[in-house]
Amino acid sequence: MKEILKNILDWLEPKVSYADLRFIQTEKENIEVENGILSSYNVSTSRGVGIRILADGAWGFAASNNLDKASLQETAAKALDIARASALTKKEDVKLAHEDKHIDTYITPITKNPFQISPAEKIDLLVKATRMMLKDKVKKSEGSFSFYKTFKIFVSTEGSELEQTIFESGGGIAAYAIREGDFQKRSYPSSFGGDYATRGYEFIEEMNLLENAERISEEANQLLAAPPAPEGITDIILGGSQLALQVHESCGHPVELDRVLGKEISYAGGSFLTLDKLNNFTYGSPEVTIVADATVPGGLGTFGYDDEGVPASKSYLVNKGKFVGYLMSREDAFKLGLKSNGAGRAENWNRIPLVRMTNINLLPGNLELDKLIGDIKKGLYLDYNKSWSIDDKRINFQFGTEIAREIKNGKLGKFYKNAVYQGITPEFWKSCDGISSEKYWHIWGVPNCGKGQPGQAMHVAHGTSPARFRKVKVGASK
Amino acid sequence: MRDINSGKELVNKIKSFIKNYDFEIIATEVKSELTRFAESYIHQNVAETNLNLITKVINEDRIGAVQMNSIDDSTISKNVEKAIEVTKITPKLDYHYQLLKPQSYKIKSKYSKDTANFTPLNRAQLVNQLIKEVNEKGYEAAGAFTTEESTLLVANSEGVFAFDRGTKVDFNCVITRDNSTAHTSFIDSDINNFNINKITDKLLETALKNAEQIEIDPGVYTVILSPEAVSEILNYTGYTAFNGKMIMENKSFVSHNRGKKIFPETINISDDPFDELTMPLPFDLVGYPRKKIDLIKEGVIKDGVHDHLTALKYNKECTGNTLSPEHASFGALPFNLVMKEGSNSVEEVISSTKKGVYISRFHYVNILNPISVQLTGMTRNGTFLIEDGKLGKAIKNMRFNTSVVDMLKAVDMISKERQTKSGFIGPTVAPYLRTNNFTFSSKTSF
Repeated sequence: MKEILKNILDWLEPKVSYADLRFIQTEKENIEVENGILSSYNVSTSRGVGIRILADGAWGFAASNNLDKASLQETAAKALDIARASALTKKEDVKLAHEDKHIDTYITPITKNPFQISPAEKIDLLVKATRMMLKDKVKKSEGSFSFYKTFKIFVSTEGSELEQTIFESGGGIAAYAIREGDFQKRSYPSSFGGDYATRGYEFIEEMNLLENAERISEEANQLLAAPPAPEGITDIILGGSQLALQVHESCGHPVELDRVLGKEISYAGGSFLTLDKLNNFTYGSPEVTIVADATVPGGLGTFGYDDEGVPASKSYLVNKGKFVGYLMSREDAFKLGLKSNGAGRAENWNRIPLVRMTNINLLPGNLELDKLIGDIKKGLYLDYNKSWSIDDKRINFQFGTEIAREIKNGKLGKFYKNAVYQGITPEFWKSCDGISSEKYWHIWGVPNCGKGQPGQAMHVAHGTSPARFRKVKVGASK
Repeated sequence: MRDINSGKELVNKIKSFIKNYDFEIIATEVKSELTRFAESYIHQNVAETNLNLITKVINEDRIGAVQMNSIDDSTISKNVEKAIEVTKITPKLDYHYQLLKPQSYKIKSKYSKDTANFTPLNRAQLVNQLIKEVNEKGYEAAGAFTTEESTLLVANSEGVFAFDRGTKVDFNCVITRDNSTAHTSFIDSDINNFNINKITDKLLETALKNAEQIEIDPGVYTVILSPEAVSEILNYTGYTAFNGKMIMENKSFVSHNRGKKIFPETINISDDPFDELTMPLPFDLVGYPRKKIDLIKEGVIKDGVHDHLTALKYNKECTGNTLSPEHASFGALPFNLVMKEGSNSVEEVISSTKKGVYISRFHYVNILNPISVQLTGMTRNGTFLIEDGKLGKAIKNMRFNTSVVDMLKAVDMISKERQTKSGFIGPTVAPYLRTNNFTFSSKTSF
């Protein structure tokens, strides 16, 4: 395939100022079980080529699942036509930040290839876990696994030739306690499909689903009998899973430079982290340091090179509370006179690279969890996302969580249901006065980060450990 | 799949590999092009050709599904073999899986040759025209302009054969100048119905009013919702309340309220492929013919929509709302949500409102409580005070936490005019409506 791509590149080279071609082949296995019965087993494969070019100073992109040389040449010609149409409205020529030529191969290190584990073994695990959860008012239980193997070839007119094989594994279980007029859900290890990583089947084994199924079921039952969360202003601790989504929505998205430059304004929106705030804005308290790190082993946003051929890297976004960096593609980095930090990512062969999150990690503090909770007289421990919403500049947010626990005189107490908390992004992060230590730190995989038109669902991750926030507005959904 | 004959050839080819097993197939072919612009220039401009073939093999209530985007013999053979193997090792379903018998179809998707042949240059020229006009007034434009042709084939080993082709034009745009913004959207099958002059005028009219926003306090308000805002509310309500699987699992508001008259008689919401303003699909993804399903009729909660699997499992009638196998565990969604028109002109709805808020559009809507259908979200791109029957000062964006049930109970005016807006599957047809119970819970700074 690489030779065909290089032939097309040779044909394009005299006609364009830049071109890259990406061949991507994806294998996916998805298993879903409900109440101990297999409800869905799907295997899918997809392959195709995306051709992105700069001609007449403007972008064109065409993609096709037809992989013979003649069809790909037609696709390349289509990309040229599109670039010429784009040029009709251009204000200035598109320029890309410099990137060295790279010739390299990357393979996700895994211990157990998930595609070599028999479907029967995987199904059996989910059947057992979902059966174990069916107790008392838990009338519905579900579990799922997804496994991906993605092979990518990238070639560009700058001479880069990259081959990557990325393995991803993930899944989880959930219990629904149901009575007339109410139901409560508990998920494990995280909500909305569980947890994901660029790892092999060993990641699933380490989840210990069977060891946690009964606990999840009991908690769902407890929640169904629990009172609604109290309303007011109180101190809270966010557990790691919920904190991952808090980082995602209130830091990960607003630091995307394309949003800041207005490129997403009609759809996902803009950002309050405007260019004048770079290195000149207090985003959070000194406890808060957030990095983009696509090199951390196992993160769902870990890879060798992004989809513009830029090596995976680690960069600071927020350093001790100060806003210090954006997520950048090559085009957007050029506008700031910077190099890309490897955040130009595409969902698949039929989508262009956009500025996307990688692993956006809140670095751990040095507190024991007991100490974090122990310093709260009256408050709530909130975890596992249930609902999320944030305005189009990423300022006013509101999240609902599956679980709320009372904190009274430094001790965890009774359960509350339907908890929500609400805040204004910088004020919220400035109220963070403690983060638990590396012992509690985990990278949570988020396989469904949506952005762009046409839509792209990106696989990203967030390293977090539970953290404390003071004087937060809380309440209950009704 | 050039035509119906190539569709039949594909079915026969798959049959030859599957041999004696029962099967269902879904094949989609899409040619989609999208021009995206921001800061008044085209910054992304893409085209895609793709085909997706899903083959389900059914072996004594055991199902294996495979999905591929290439239909050469070797790919089909390898994948079909995999699906058959899966049916030999997976446990049986807890209900008997019956294949659908052959059906006849009363409607077709809307198709426009001009839409199918619209070029990147055609799109760029229209975008350029809009950009020039709004630039003259000091505004920047951002948006997306899609033209698409798609073919859908659904078949099974019992002889179901459903073939359809449709086109789509989907346009949205936001214009901005400092804090002044406006948004509009357009969805249709025919590019000849797309009027860039009308869209540009509407955008500028709204944006010029939406400046110097003031703050208002959270609380319960009388609001007038635009069709864009109503369609967003309907989409989420369809998703969480009228999904037959959630109803049968007692996880929906509808579960315990079927047959109850809860809303005013003017509230009529259906899944209706025959409405003149919608873009219908003629069948669902196992081949059931689509038909009109009343969800709320004259204020009475009727029922939800059911997919093939949920219908078999719970002994219900499938309503023609089956999704693809990869989304099957979700249940069913309405494909063509429609809210019936009222008797008032839009002018009457506004002029009869002493004090209220007009909402153009929502942002980031999500479900807070599925049982009460409590939704949250923000207002965006044009929210205005209504005072003494007139659209007045623009207001800064607000967060709402409101129950759709409470909101619909308090609807007292619905417009005659309805518009077609984006839905979760097919488009949603919605009027303007006024409700006296809409809760804003907090505000933001812009």
